[in-house]
Amino acid sequence: MNLSGNSVLIETNHLVKLFGDKVAVNDISFEVYAGEVFGFLGPNGAGKTTTIKMIAGLLLPTSGTVKVSGYDVQTQPLQAKAANGYVPDTPNLYPKLSGRELLRFVGDLYEMERKQVDRRIDELLRLFELEQAGDDPIDSYSHGMQQKAALACALIHDPKVLVLDEPTVGLDPRSARLIKDMLRQMAERGAAVFLSTHILEIAERMCDRIGIIDKGALIAVGSMEELRSLGKGETSLEDIFLNLTGGAEYAEITEVLR
Amino acid sequence: MNTASLGHVQPGSSLWRYVWKLSRLRWVIFASEFRRGRLRRKIGILLLGLLVLAGLGFAFVLSWLLLRFLRSPQLVLYLGDASSFLSSVPVVILSVAFIGILLTSFGLLLQALYLAGDMDFLLSSPVPIRAIFITKLLQAILPNFGLILLFSLPVLYGLGASQGYNALYYPLVLIVLSLIALATAGLSSLLVMAVVRIFPARRVAEVLGFVVAITSFICSQTGQFARYASVSSEQATQALSMMPRFNLPWSPLAWAGRSLVDIGEGRWLSGGGLLLITIGLTVGLFIFSLATAERLYYTGWASVQVSTRKKATPRSARPARPRSASLATLVNRVVTSPVQGIIIKDFLMLRRDLRNMSQLVTPLILGILYAFMLIRSGGEPPAGRGEAPAVFMEIMKNLMVYANVGISLFVGWTLLGRLALMGFSQEGKNYWLLKTAPVNTARLLAAKFLVAYLPTLFLVWAFLIVISLVQGVTPGALAFGMLVVLLILAGTAGLNLAFGVTGANFNWEDPRRISQGSAGCLGALASMVFLGVSLLLFFGPAILVKLFGGPTAIGQLVGLGLGGAASLACAYFSLWLVRGRVPRLGEE
Repeated sequence: MNLSGNSVLIETNHLVKLFGDKVAVNDISFEVYAGEVFGFLGPNGAGKTTTIKMIAGLLLPTSGTVKVSGYDVQTQPLQAKAANGYVPDTPNLYPKLSGRELLRFVGDLYEMERKQVDRRIDELLRLFELEQAGDDPIDSYSHGMQQKAALACALIHDPKVLVLDEPTVGLDPRSARLIKDMLRQMAERGAAVFLSTHILEIAERMCDRIGIIDKGALIAVGSMEELRSLGKGETSLEDIFLNLTGGAEYAEITEVLR
Repeated sequence: MNTASLGHVQPGSSLWRYVWKLSRLRWVIFASEFRRGRLRRKIGILLLGLLVLAGLGFAFVLSWLLLRFLRSPQLVLYLGDASSFLSSVPVVILSVAFIGILLTSFGLLLQALYLAGDMDFLLSSPVPIRAIFITKLLQAILPNFGLILLFSLPVLYGLGASQGYNALYYPLVLIVLSLIALATAGLSSLLVMAVVRIFPARRVAEVLGFVVAITSFICSQTGQFARYASVSSEQATQALSMMPRFNLPWSPLAWAGRSLVDIGEGRWLSGGGLLLITIGLTVGLFIFSLATAERLYYTGWASVQVSTRKKATPRSARPARPRSASLATLVNRVVTSPVQGIIIKDFLMLRRDLRNMSQLVTPLILGILYAFMLIRSGGEPPAGRGEAPAVFMEIMKNLMVYANVGISLFVGWTLLGRLALMGFSQEGKNYWLLKTAPVNTARLLAAKFLVAYLPTLFLVWAFLIVISLVQGVTPGALAFGMLVVLLILAGTAGLNLAFGVTGANFNWEDPRRISQGSAGCLGALASMVFLGVSLLLFFGPAILVKLFGGPTAIGQLVGLGLGGAASLACAYFSLWLVRGRVPRLGEE
């Protein structure tokens, strides 16, 4: 699918993040277009979460810029955040609020109309099969239910941009499928979906384009076809990923376990 | 996979070998922490150890002297014969040890069995389940047992020394105390499982923490009511006569205590018999509890909860509360929806988490106690030896008029130390929700300010009104006091909130352990200084005008002008100074 004619909803420009001497993100530039699902892959500690946090406005970049829906996250944070929905890798949610109260709170933060909030809460609780647990405190939820509650929070204001860090971790196959379908639908409705994942099958099947980050640097961006053309004849994303990020150590591990 | 190289259980491995291995792990953790700790911490721990030993020696000597003193002929004339009291000392101490270990090991076992998170790991490892339970029970009782020994051994050994008990008494004291501690811990583990069967473990821990904090605080403070100087002979005799009441003929704890006394005094037959019954009962109870607890845990009985909670009516099904349109518009215009949302969320979180409530109730208890003392004194300054200059006494008398405001503000200051100083930190790891939301700094600060200020103000006002009504304060003076509270609390809330922003810490698991670091200490100090200065500005003019014979109302008006300006400036400028830091919170 060629989306380059669509408007750019996420744009990073020479993004750098240093933690002391450690370079977590090194000069990353990419765009995510409206109607696109963008997969962000990389080994553990490659800088995925740091990049995502800078896009969501949780971390100040050392240098470079991030724009969400055309708004600079540093200079126009409120407009950028209003267009964005974010789901972290660990769903830390207020444990003593019920799911319904949490969603109402998030609706208030986004200055939504009370009636609209109530309607969206009912829709989202039904969608994520949380109706029965909607009035229970969040500390009684399982990990999967908390993950779904975090997703509902990100969706309540119907954002133009959705940034998700490992959204399917801890979800049962049914819920994971639901989320995949929902993200696809959002993209079809014109939203930009940016997600990081370790499950290469999800990235391969769901994403229009994929970015691979390694040691803080973006080493490849493109559609599956474009990534295949970068490799040495590999056809699967797993082979491309291991080839680009260095798969030798995996072979060593397999040898030890044999 | 080659399994030959992996360690596995040897058939017939000793249970106690595993108990030792598991118990040693705790010691290894402690030793490792000690080794890696700072020199200051190491010296502190060593000093603490020496202090405990010194305390033990001191308590022994003191007990010995006291118990000898109780047998002195002069005291017998004053109080009567104390021999029945002395012989009931072991019974009382064993009873106290039983109750103490039962209560304290409940919390520790709840933590060890349900909240520590290592049970699944231990149960899935090749270690006998019994060894795990014995280790958990030992973990639960050892700290408390140590504390109980610290207080009870000197008294029991002092009793032995003062009464001239024979040598067998001393090791038996230790054995009986240890057996009672083990049996009690076993009983406590069953109690924990029964409770967790009905209520969630985390909720039980919260309720327990709340009850313990409030009870210990009340106990520590009520000592201030006692008038030890005026204890009469009858009251002393009555207090001493309470002790033998523990010595009930049917109580196993009384049998245990009497066995020690009988053996100490050389009544071998009765003492030995009672001792055998004690050992049999405690060992039997321990084995029964251990076997039952491990069975209940392993079968899942103790983990599957029987829900007793009534299902709440879904909010959407409830009828909407009517609110006048004009009022709603006004509220929405003044307090925007993000601010309202944060306020409602914070109030719900504070109310529902009992760990917060224990921190919030403490200032109230303190305030009630001080108010009681103020009312009991009749609002008069202490006369002392009557040597103070008349002017000083006059100022003191005028100051006492405002003592109710002072006490109310002290309650407010303590509350704001939690609500405002920790206003941002209390978000913890959930702060990402606020940080990713389109809420600007001013609204965030306004919401946090109101969350701290509004409940404190209403509570302190209510408190002031009650004291003033009891004291018979005039409506004018009450209105002045309420205005003073309104303004000073605004300044204190702003100042505390500003320091809270500076020292914000989102990395905690338990709200009772939110650490604000040096910013927290500085915040408390700064707000205390502000409180003193502003009180001077508010009350100084009124007292001065009254001393010079002028109308108090003029002085109060001047005070309101000076103090009010200072308070509002303090509230505004404190927050203005930290406004740049708010957007960067949570990025460390």
